Amino acid sequence: MKRYGTLGTVGWQVLICAVVLSVWQWGYDLRTKLPWLVPDLLDPYFISKPSMIFDNFLIQSCMTSKLGVFNGWFNGEFAKCLARNENNLWAATAITLKNTFFGFVTGVVSGFVAGLILGRSDRLSAIFQPFITAVNSIPRIALAPIIVLAFGIGDMSKIVTSWIVVVFLVFFNTFEGARSIDEGFTNAARLLGASEWQITRTVVIPSTMAWVFASLTPAISFALIGVIVGEFIGAERGIGRLIIESEARGEASGMMVAVVVLMLVGVVLSAIIWRLQAYLLRWQRQRSAE
Amino acid sequence: MSALETSVTTSPRASAERRVEVKGLGKSFQLAKTTIEAVRDVSFDVRRGEFVALLGPSGSGKSTVLNMIASLIRPTGGEILIDGKRVVAGKATPNVGYVFQRDTLFPWRTVADNIGYGLELSGVPAHERKERIAECVAQAGLRGFEHAYPSALSGGMRQRAALMRTLIVEPQILLMDEPFGALDTHTKIDMHEVLLRIWEREQQTVLFVTHDLGEALTLADRIILFSARPGRIKDMFEVDFDRPRDAVKVRETPHYAELFQHIWHSLGEEFVKGRST
Repeated sequence: MKRYGTLGTVGWQVLICAVVLSVWQWGYDLRTKLPWLVPDLLDPYFISKPSMIFDNFLIQSCMTSKLGVFNGWFNGEFAKCLARNENNLWAATAITLKNTFFGFVTGVVSGFVAGLILGRSDRLSAIFQPFITAVNSIPRIALAPIIVLAFGIGDMSKIVTSWIVVVFLVFFNTFEGARSIDEGFTNAARLLGASEWQITRTVVIPSTMAWVFASLTPAISFALIGVIVGEFIGAERGIGRLIIESEARGEASGMMVAVVVLMLVGVVLSAIIWRLQAYLLRWQRQRSAE
Repeated sequence: MSALETSVTTSPRASAERRVEVKGLGKSFQLAKTTIEAVRDVSFDVRRGEFVALLGPSGSGKSTVLNMIASLIRPTGGEILIDGKRVVAGKATPNVGYVFQRDTLFPWRTVADNIGYGLELSGVPAHERKERIAECVAQAGLRGFEHAYPSALSGGMRQRAALMRTLIVEPQILLMDEPFGALDTHTKIDMHEVLLRIWEREQQTVLFVTHDLGEALTLADRIILFSARPGRIKDMFEVDFDRPRDAVKVRETPHYAELFQHIWHSLGEEFVKGRST
C-alpha cells in the first residue's frame, strides 16, 4: 500500500489550501483590472471572504465585541455576551450536536434491530418488503416540513427528521449484512451447541458489524443534514437557525461561519466513527503472516 | 514406534458396541428440473472408538453422508441412529463434534476465543475456560498466537485451531469433512500426527471423509469406499496396521504398499466414472 501523509502529500495539501483561500480572499480585488477573468460569484456579498468570516466568527463566538475589541476572559464580558444572545455560536453548536446525537443513536439502534430481525426472517422480510421499498422511495428530507408541523419547533422535530434519514440507511446495510452471513459460521456455531439466540449474539451480530459500520459514516452526515434542515424549517436555536438569520440579514460571513462550524463538527464526528470502527473491526486489519 | 506388522483382527480397542448406525440412507437434490441422486441406499455401522474413513472421488456423496450424520442435511430416505437415538436434521446431536473442510474459524475472535467458543456457549466459568484453552493451545502448537486473529495464521495453524475448537468440548464422536484437504503434503502429515495422538488418548469414534487414499490408510481402522454418483458403498477394507501408528513410518511398510495397490485400483475406477458423469 502507498503511504499517505508523507511530506510531499502534506506539502501539496497546504499549497491547495493556500491557493483556494488566496483566490477567495483577494480574487475579487482583481475585478477592476481583469473583469473578464473574475466571475461575479467571487463577490464577497455572496461568499464573503476568509478574513471577514474569521472576524465574524470571533464576534459570534463572543470572543470579541461587535466592534472587534477582544472580550477579556475574566472581566465578565464574555459571559455577558453569551447571555445576551440565546443562540450564540456555542449554544447553537451544542443544541445542533445534541439533536444530531439523539437522531443518530435512535436511527442506528432502530435501523440495526429492524435490519437484524428482517434479515434473519424470510417470512417477515417477505411481508414488509413492499412497504420498505415504498417508504424508501420517498426522499426523506421532503418529510421535514410535515415533521416540524407535527412535532413543533422544539428539539423533537429535529431528532425525528434526523432519525428518519438515518434509520433506513442503517437498516438496509444491516439487512444485507444479516442476509449474507457465511453459513459455515452459523453451522459451526450450531454444531458446537449454540442456541438461536447465541448464534445471533456470537455470529450474526459480529459478522454484520462490518456492514453496519460501512453505513455509519454516511449516517452521521445524514443525521447532521436532518437536524439542519429541520432547523431551517422552524427552530428557535441551532446552527441551521443561525444560517437562516444571517441570510435574512444578507450577511454572507455569518452563514459561512455556520458552514465552517458544521464542517468541523462533521469532521470530528466522522473521526470518532473511524476510531470506533478501527477498534471494533480490528480483526479485519491483521493480514496473513504467510 | 514398533514395527508395523500385519494382524488379521481389527483394532482391539474398538469395542463391538455400535455408536453410529446408518440405515438405507438416501439423498436426492432438485436442481432446476432434474433430480440428482447424490446418495443411494447407504448402510453401515461404526463401533465405539473406531476410526472410519469414507473414501471416494468428489461427487460420490461421501460428504453428503457425513453432513446428514451431522444433522446439517435432511436425508430423503433412510435413517441415522447415534447411540440408538435418531438424528434430527437441524438439531445438533450432543457429543458429536464436526470439523469442516473449509476454515470456519470466526475471524472476529482471537485464536484463544475461537478455541474457547464451545465452553463459552455452555457457560463454563472464565477461569476454568482459560485453563482448558491454554491446554488446547499448547497441544495444537499455537503458543504465542493466542491473541492473534485467524487472518494472521497460516492454513495449517488455522486448521489446528479449528480442530481444537471442536475438541475442547470433548465430543465422543468426531465427524471430519476433508479437514486437511486444503493443506500442503507436509502440513497434512503433521496434522495426521496431531490427530492420531489425540485419538489414541481420547478414543473418540471418528468418521473421516477424504479422497486421499494415503490419508485414509494412515489414519483409519476401516475404509468405506464410495462409488461415483449416485454415491453407494462399493467396498469396505479393514486397515490392520498396528497402533499406535506413526504417520510417516506407516507409509514405508510393505503392507501399506500392498493395501494401497489393492484399494487404489478400485478407487481409480470410480475416479474415471466420476469424470464421465
